[in-house]
Amino acid sequence: MKQRLEQLLTSAKQAISQAETESSLQGVRVAILGRKGELTALMKGMGSLSQEERPVIGSMVNRIKTEFEELFESRRVVLHEASLSARLSHESIDVTLPGRRSLQGSKHPITLVMEDISAIFAALGFGIAEGPEIERDFYNFEALNMPKDHPARDMQDTFYINEDLVLRTHTSPVQIRTMLKHEPPVRVIAPGTVYRCDSDITHSPMFHQVEGFLVDKHVTFGDLKGILTEFITRYFGADIGVRFRPSFFPFTEPSAEVDMQCVICGGSGCRVCKNSGWLEILGSGMIDPEVFKSVGYDSEKYSGFAFGMGVERIAMLKYGVNDLRLFFENDLRFLKQFN
Amino acid sequence: MIVTYKWLKEFVDFDLSPEDLAHRLTMAGLEVDRIEYIGAELDAVIVAKLLSVDRHPEADRLTVCRVDNGTDEVQVVCGATNHKTGDLVALAQVGAVLPGDFIIKKSKIRGEVSQGMLCSEKELALADESAGIMILPAGLNLGQPVFEALDLKDVRYELGLTPNRADCLSVVGIAREVAAMVGRQLNLSELLFLEEGGPIGPETSVEIVDVDKCPRYAARLIKNIKIGPSPDWLVKRLETIGLRSINNVVDVTNYVMMELGQPLHAFDFRLLRGGKIVVRCPGETEFTTLNGQSHKLIDSDLAICDAEGPVALAGIMGGENSEIQPETEMVLLESAYFDPISIRRSSKRLGLHTDSSHRFERGADINIVPVALNRAAALITELASGTVCKGMLDIYPKVIELRKISIGLEKTNTILGLNLTLQQIQEHLQSIGLNLCVGDKSESLQVEIPTFRPDLEREIDLIEEVARLNGYDQIPVTMPVGQTEGVTITPAHAAVTALREKMVAAGFSEVINYSFVSADVDDRILLASDDVRREHIKILNPLTETQAVMRTSLVPSLLENVSRNLAYRSLDLHLFELRPVFFPIAGQDLPQEPKQLTAIMSGGREPLGWCQGGNLSDFYDLKGVAEALFEMMYIPDLHWDAAGSEPYLHPGKSCTISSGRKRLGVLGELHPKVAANYDISTPLFLLELDVAALLEAADNKFVFKPISRFPDVYRDSAFLLDENISAETILTTLKSSRSNLIEAITLFDVYCGQGIPDGKKSVAVRVNYRSIERTLTDDEITKVHNRLVKTMEKVLAAQLR
Repeated sequence: MKQRLEQLLTSAKQAISQAETESSLQGVRVAILGRKGELTALMKGMGSLSQEERPVIGSMVNRIKTEFEELFESRRVVLHEASLSARLSHESIDVTLPGRRSLQGSKHPITLVMEDISAIFAALGFGIAEGPEIERDFYNFEALNMPKDHPARDMQDTFYINEDLVLRTHTSPVQIRTMLKHEPPVRVIAPGTVYRCDSDITHSPMFHQVEGFLVDKHVTFGDLKGILTEFITRYFGADIGVRFRPSFFPFTEPSAEVDMQCVICGGSGCRVCKNSGWLEILGSGMIDPEVFKSVGYDSEKYSGFAFGMGVERIAMLKYGVNDLRLFFENDLRFLKQFN
Repeated sequence: MIVTYKWLKEFVDFDLSPEDLAHRLTMAGLEVDRIEYIGAELDAVIVAKLLSVDRHPEADRLTVCRVDNGTDEVQVVCGATNHKTGDLVALAQVGAVLPGDFIIKKSKIRGEVSQGMLCSEKELALADESAGIMILPAGLNLGQPVFEALDLKDVRYELGLTPNRADCLSVVGIAREVAAMVGRQLNLSELLFLEEGGPIGPETSVEIVDVDKCPRYAARLIKNIKIGPSPDWLVKRLETIGLRSINNVVDVTNYVMMELGQPLHAFDFRLLRGGKIVVRCPGETEFTTLNGQSHKLIDSDLAICDAEGPVALAGIMGGENSEIQPETEMVLLESAYFDPISIRRSSKRLGLHTDSSHRFERGADINIVPVALNRAAALITELASGTVCKGMLDIYPKVIELRKISIGLEKTNTILGLNLTLQQIQEHLQSIGLNLCVGDKSESLQVEIPTFRPDLEREIDLIEEVARLNGYDQIPVTMPVGQTEGVTITPAHAAVTALREKMVAAGFSEVINYSFVSADVDDRILLASDDVRREHIKILNPLTETQAVMRTSLVPSLLENVSRNLAYRSLDLHLFELRPVFFPIAGQDLPQEPKQLTAIMSGGREPLGWCQGGNLSDFYDLKGVAEALFEMMYIPDLHWDAAGSEPYLHPGKSCTISSGRKRLGVLGELHPKVAANYDISTPLFLLELDVAALLEAADNKFVFKPISRFPDVYRDSAFLLDENISAETILTTLKSSRSNLIEAITLFDVYCGQGIPDGKKSVAVRVNYRSIERTLTDDEITKVHNRLVKTMEKVLAAQLR
């Protein structure tokens, strides 16, 4: 019996090492341990053994069985690894084929710029207000210290609907509407569409502006410089130079034109900045007492500043767009670049 | 406004380089738009000395000259005859570019090398004609550019002035600013002249009828004038600032206007009927200005009249009937002040904008009227040999009192965020010619405003001057403190942003079109004759007929976009626009500006690729986009009604969309006729939604539904039913059982064709069952599902397949 068991182990070892596939290995296992297997058959014969022999043979059978299982398992792992790597070595795809795409939409660049500007001012505590595009003369001009026959009206060629209604020439009327509704403190920006009766390579009869203003106690010209410098450096980059120089707007005093260092040439002078190294980017100023008077704010108690910027101009500088007309031709080849 | 470096130097002594001056002017609020270096283009034309002049061996009329250019000796062949050894000449070196783009090259002339050219005055554009080459005065430095040596160089500045700075519409005005910058005095010297022509009194008279429109009118009479060309310096200077020389008298009036900012006018005195001036509104009449244009005057137009009628449009332009002629001998010279608003109205109405009207409508200086008149008279005696009559007629009935304004120390510092002293404020204000009133207040100053600064009316105007003169760059950068209140982002604004995001996520590109369109777009999209969208708000002064009316629909502009993109072979189009349209409101109200969301879809459903593409989008693609929008906004009770959509949509492939009874918009395929109107030959689908309606329909009370932790089971069933039963009816019928075990019902197949009888269709649905509280048994589900099938059979005569 012992001898037969030893023989069985030897031949099983050989069979295991000779098995070349997982299935033939499985065959070896069945031949040994299966219902009709050799070891199974031997174990069935154990009943005929004597009391003394039984535990000895029994423990021998268990040892052989364990040894066989270990050999079987290690061979199985080897064969499985081999067959898996053989399979994987045959399976491959062309990873350079393009991916499966869905359609990509895009926001209009003007929308993008208005959203980016709004986000910066929102972070500085500004709310967003809107107003009508067809506006009363009062809000667009009168209340902004531009009475009829004021030469400043020439600065803005106006589309008229009738004597009293115009297509708003700037987003500043939103300032008036907001101040009439809210007591200070207010911090608001008003992005929107505006119109001027002018059309050539650098002027579009419809364009966009972002207007903003802040009114509170003790607001100074220094605060105006602070907020606008913050905006420009957040939008165009921290190391960009900013300068403020005197200008004129009927609704602000003192008024300032805000220039930033030319983003095209870095300030050394180029065609875009007309060799000055500077680009006009914002109009601004302390809100004129006349404007406060027309909305019922007390200019002895409150002060504030206002500013406005042209969205198309900023978009052109930001994205290097060199032709204003592209914004309104709506050519998909242009629009798609802004996704 | 144009000034030159040298012209400014006549009035103020300053040491700034031309570039520094430009920078300082810009930073003082007088923005320099352009700098031009006059004469710099001829820097390669230098002073040279003739060392020898010999006859050309091969040509009698030419000379071969050796010249010293300061560093070298060069040989030049010259065709002139007026030069001799020792003369200083203008040598155009090789590489120089002379006026008329004439490039000087090294050449050989009949065998002799010529390294440049000796120039005549004509060749340097210094004279119209010249005989021979230019012989320069002795003593000039060899090698120096000729224009520099002759002091002909200058720098021209084009200033973009803001409308408040009327005082800077003159060289003296700008010089005053420069004087303030550099802390020097303005040099204003008066030219002296003799009054030798007998008293003015008996010869002429001036009467102002409309004193409001003309508060001051001064005149002088000058006899024995010889009209002729102006001297070169005057012609050049006028040319430099963009004015054409006319004759000596007219040129003087223009020159003085540019110098002092006071417009002047010269009349041929013999052409003044009755020999007198009456300033009045002549009423409705026809009048021809000296540019040959005829104008219809109205009652409010002010004119300078003689005894019979108008001879000039006051402050705007002189008349043809009294213009200076070549044979004019006697001139009445006018210097006056006119009311800005009156000038502005007439000039605007007549479309006549002149250098003169520009200055008057922005506010001239009433006190410079006699000064300018004398200056011009002096120049005319000098340049046109006139004799000035004794005395000036100066009608100035109500002498203007100078304005006094006080400026507070604390107020100034509070607004500007500065810490100036009263002394500093005072120095700044005095530097631009404002006078301090007597009195010793420690907290404020009282300032007297000269008439050349009509823009300074209030304390804030003075504070601005202080800020400007002190320098904006001196104001420290600070951040405002304090909280914000009141205005935040409105739900409507947020919703518009969300809709836009959703459209972009669905693959659509946003377009922005002009708000104004051509009035004929309504015909192109087949709007009925009584459609409200035909009532456009019209622009009174449109730029073109194609931008004449405000749009009432976004559809035409989008179709234009499609047509344009198709022309450029962009065929797969997913476009949308989210902007207002405009409707008039009767009465006094502002027009309505409802926002619309309009989208179009055409071409491929997805991008073409090796594993995708090739399918064209259809109605249901766009409907899916609409459904996604409605889901995002929680819009309940949606109906898609095939009846009554829009005239520009295919009648059988379009619908109105509503939520309950609220109409949200339309969806459908573009009508073939409209497609043809826009040259669109591919199927195109259109979605049009009213943003306000979406917002009203949106259910803002959304709360989440709990999710079940138990497994779901689904049953698929196919039904055979009449082909005209709509999907909406089928789904409504299925949902009518209202079992709370049904989690979802999905219609996943619709089939007609082989195996299906005519007039019938097969519709397959999947019903998902799930309970929130337990695992469902097979029996339970079968019971509910069978009931569902029964309902279908009973209500819709459906047969289970």
